[in-house]
Amino acid sequence: MRLTLKHLLCLCLGIVASAALSEEFNEELDLRPLPDGKVAAWFSFSTLLKGATPRDTKTLGAEDESQLYTLFPLALGQILREYAVTELHLTLNAGKWNYDRWGYPDESGVGTGAELWAWMGENGPVSVDSRWRGLRNALAGLFCASLGSLDEQRTTSPVLTFQPEGFLPNRTASYQLRHATLPSEHVCTENLTPFLKLLPCKSLSGIASLLNPHMLLDADWHGLGVHVRYVEGAGVELRLASQAVLDPVRISREKRRDWSFSALFDRRIEQACPVARSSVIRVWLPQNETYAIIPSPTAMDSTYATYVVSEVEKPLDVAIRWPEEQNFEYPTAIKPQTHISVHRTLQGASQHAGRLALSVTNNHDTELQAGYLETLPWLLQFYLHTLHAEIDGVRRDDLVKLISYTPPLPHVQPALLQAIVTLPPKRTMQLTMDVVKPFLAYTEHPPDAQRGWDLPPAVFVPFASQNGSQAGSYPQQSAVCSTRMYTPVLLVDLATPDFSMPYNVIIMSCTLIALIFGMVFNLLTRRFVVVRVDEKAP
Amino acid sequence: METLSKAALAFESPLTRRSIIASYFLVILLALPLWWNTTSIERQALPISRVSAQTGRELLFPVHVAVNTSASDINAGVLAQEVQRYVNRNEDFTRDGLELRVSSDAATAKDYQVNVRFGTHDPVVVGREVTVEVPPEHASVAAMRVADTLATLLAPYSSLKSLATASHAERVVSYSPRYRLAFTLLNEDAAAGNAALSWDVRGALSAQLSPFLERLSVLHNFTIESQVQYHGPLAFEPRGLQVAEKTQYGLTPEDLTVFVNSAEWMLSSSVSNDPVLHFIAFIPSSKHTPLRILDNNGIPTASSAFMLPQWGGIVIYNAETIGVARTLATRPLDNIFATFRQQLSALLGVPELPAHVQARSPGVSDWQLDALIRRRAAENTAGAQETLQSILRLVAQIGDMPVGEDVRGDVEDALAALDKTYSSAPSSAVEALTFASKAQVVASRAFFNPGMLALLYFPAEHKWAVYAPLFASVSAPLLASVIREFLAWKKERAAKKARSEQRQKVD
Repeated sequence: MRLTLKHLLCLCLGIVASAALSEEFNEELDLRPLPDGKVAAWFSFSTLLKGATPRDTKTLGAEDESQLYTLFPLALGQILREYAVTELHLTLNAGKWNYDRWGYPDESGVGTGAELWAWMGENGPVSVDSRWRGLRNALAGLFCASLGSLDEQRTTSPVLTFQPEGFLPNRTASYQLRHATLPSEHVCTENLTPFLKLLPCKSLSGIASLLNPHMLLDADWHGLGVHVRYVEGAGVELRLASQAVLDPVRISREKRRDWSFSALFDRRIEQACPVARSSVIRVWLPQNETYAIIPSPTAMDSTYATYVVSEVEKPLDVAIRWPEEQNFEYPTAIKPQTHISVHRTLQGASQHAGRLALSVTNNHDTELQAGYLETLPWLLQFYLHTLHAEIDGVRRDDLVKLISYTPPLPHVQPALLQAIVTLPPKRTMQLTMDVVKPFLAYTEHPPDAQRGWDLPPAVFVPFASQNGSQAGSYPQQSAVCSTRMYTPVLLVDLATPDFSMPYNVIIMSCTLIALIFGMVFNLLTRRFVVVRVDEKAP
Repeated sequence: METLSKAALAFESPLTRRSIIASYFLVILLALPLWWNTTSIERQALPISRVSAQTGRELLFPVHVAVNTSASDINAGVLAQEVQRYVNRNEDFTRDGLELRVSSDAATAKDYQVNVRFGTHDPVVVGREVTVEVPPEHASVAAMRVADTLATLLAPYSSLKSLATASHAERVVSYSPRYRLAFTLLNEDAAAGNAALSWDVRGALSAQLSPFLERLSVLHNFTIESQVQYHGPLAFEPRGLQVAEKTQYGLTPEDLTVFVNSAEWMLSSSVSNDPVLHFIAFIPSSKHTPLRILDNNGIPTASSAFMLPQWGGIVIYNAETIGVARTLATRPLDNIFATFRQQLSALLGVPELPAHVQARSPGVSDWQLDALIRRRAAENTAGAQETLQSILRLVAQIGDMPVGEDVRGDVEDALAALDKTYSSAPSSAVEALTFASKAQVVASRAFFNPGMLALLYFPAEHKWAVYAPLFASVSAPLLASVIREFLAWKKERAAKKARSEQRQKVD
């Protein structure tokens, strides 16, 4: 109850420290035309809490310092401090990112549905798992997403694939990763609205004013991301990102791929965000084509045009036109835009067994290696000994090096498989494994049980092949591109019971018992009478 | 007839049949306790008599007031007796839970002291002392004046008119050992000009609020958080007014009730269950400046701040120079936080000093703090008692409600804490408050125990839905056989009677 001397001292120290503490907000928009006529938009809003450090796990039991924020959203800051989260990544995506046509995304987290992963320090008075549970529920409340259901049955710790993107302060404590995906999460306005409220300028001024729910949620693909990391020497960085793949050809009446802010977002930038330190729009310019871009950008080179929102005339409505093109002709064949292409399917029609098949193509001229991560919920159990790799019909199991495997525990934990596959140039590898589908308990089925279960995406991390020294060990981000590639989600059809069954069973067994009872009772209490038939009767 | 009875089989006898039927009923009867035992809901016996013994029990704080008349020639002993007489007549003391003893003994550290001397100044408060001056020519009214001053200082909630009203009671937040204080600098529209982009909240907090919060740390702990928002639109359009050929904007009393736009302002706090008190410094956009608060007649008032009962306080800051300021200037910031402090003090129920009493040092005096502690202790005690009685009523009302071991444990803990509250009240009000708040917390934990909700998931209707298919169909032949046997027995008796009558007739 009492405000001790220690607290007072902390308060005083806090006041001294506050002089150095300040916050910085930067916003950025990247617009990139894609080969198939679509436009990829990438919004990034980053807030830097200068000089701040993530909460030390050991202080969890004690009184926390006051949280006085200017630009940093208080609602998120509270969650981060309450659960002492050092690094946090939450993505909410809808649709299937088409790597072959769209290339690598600006944000690598494009797995369908919700994905949450966090690095948290150990050795505190509160365990990592209980903080992970609290974090899930707090974020579920903040973003109106069903993240609360990312329970132990979906949580894994794939340390090799999800390395920290920031710095983990060395406080003589080790750190743990928690990762979970919820592919069946539907991302919609109820998630976007709280997301926009975390921005200092909401969606009322600056670049964020383009985030119009009507157009954004109508896009071919759209996603939200919340990324918190600690940058050593700088502070805690929060980056709120939003990506969308918009289709101007579909929107326009003349089937042209010309686009402008008002066409894509149905909004223009009317006013600059007054608290943004920088506010930059970059438009990637078409190559080897005739085009016109208005208004004239602040700076321009051969690859992109840059607009500084605070300097250009407002309202700002950037537009690109292809004047020579009458209507856009969809290219019939687009060269794959990424190093590898992955397709994953679930084969077999039965509700008991099946086969998971992946076909991984190396589009590159040199040999590539890729980290392969599969986190399967226990409702699909695979046999590790049936994992085979084939190239052109020839079995090549030597190309798959198993690094780690955690078997699933029914009703408790998912399976985790991490491996490295070596991909010969311009070849396609077929990876197969047999799976069985277990029976679920009556209460484990979701309300829409007949729909089936979504399997989380597999993740591939391609990196250049390395010789000798590091073979067998996992390379630390020394990749051609360290970006993660997510396969589309799969739908598993499990045996679903008839949910009115319990009552039917009750009725059925009761009827049988009543019949038997009636018969026995009748026999026991029946009045037996011998009727003598008169022999003299005719 | 005669031939049929001869044809009866050896094992056929009505007695066997009837005993078979009876044995069925016997089995059912014997199975009833087992059924009752396996399907009954766990209902622990609650200490009903101990809870009902709590009704009417009131928390009383014995308080000693020492009268010191060394600065005047008034007889201290006589004055003390006179004051005691006035005090006994005044019901405000007992209403505020005080058992006052006035004497001329020397005061100890926890006693209150009244210094009486000649003069014409207003009473002055220092620590637990009050100096009352009486004009020498009116020495006879000294006792009455001392008694009145004591009433307003020791029992402010009953004696001060401004605190005794119902609206005051509704304004004060319910007791919690910890509050979150959320300070928000809210710009209506920072992009449209007239905004402050940041504020020196740490400086303002340490200058204006820290001493106050530290003073109240006996009662509550505080978690402080702050944020700045740049777009906080109002949910309504303020009314435009022409005052002295200038356009002003006004908020009617109805507008104030819907002023907080919770849909657009991100004020909620999600990580803890502690009650939050919000304090908002609102800077209207250039479109709505100056924004004034109107009275019931639509005339702008001088005040620029208002409180929302049990929620927090709002200060409207009409910047004199329109423009975007990097940081809110120190002078208006200090004013805003001084208002926040007053609002916080009112929300927490700190009694005001009576208008005619002066305080030597700023801040909350010992008299006020002690009155608040006694008040909160009494409130929590009453609250805990009421909660316990509600639990008993609820359990008595809903027969199917399970009462687990933990609920009973909590109820007993709450009763124990209440007993400790009563026993510690004479020695220390702070200790009594600690026990009373513990009793309140434990009692409400028992009231909201999730185990008591089991009823919701398996109502009696479902039980019948499961039982009916078996028992209804089984009971049909059972009952039918009983009726049949009964009819047969009656018929037999009638036949026997008829036979004997016939025989009598024959005789």
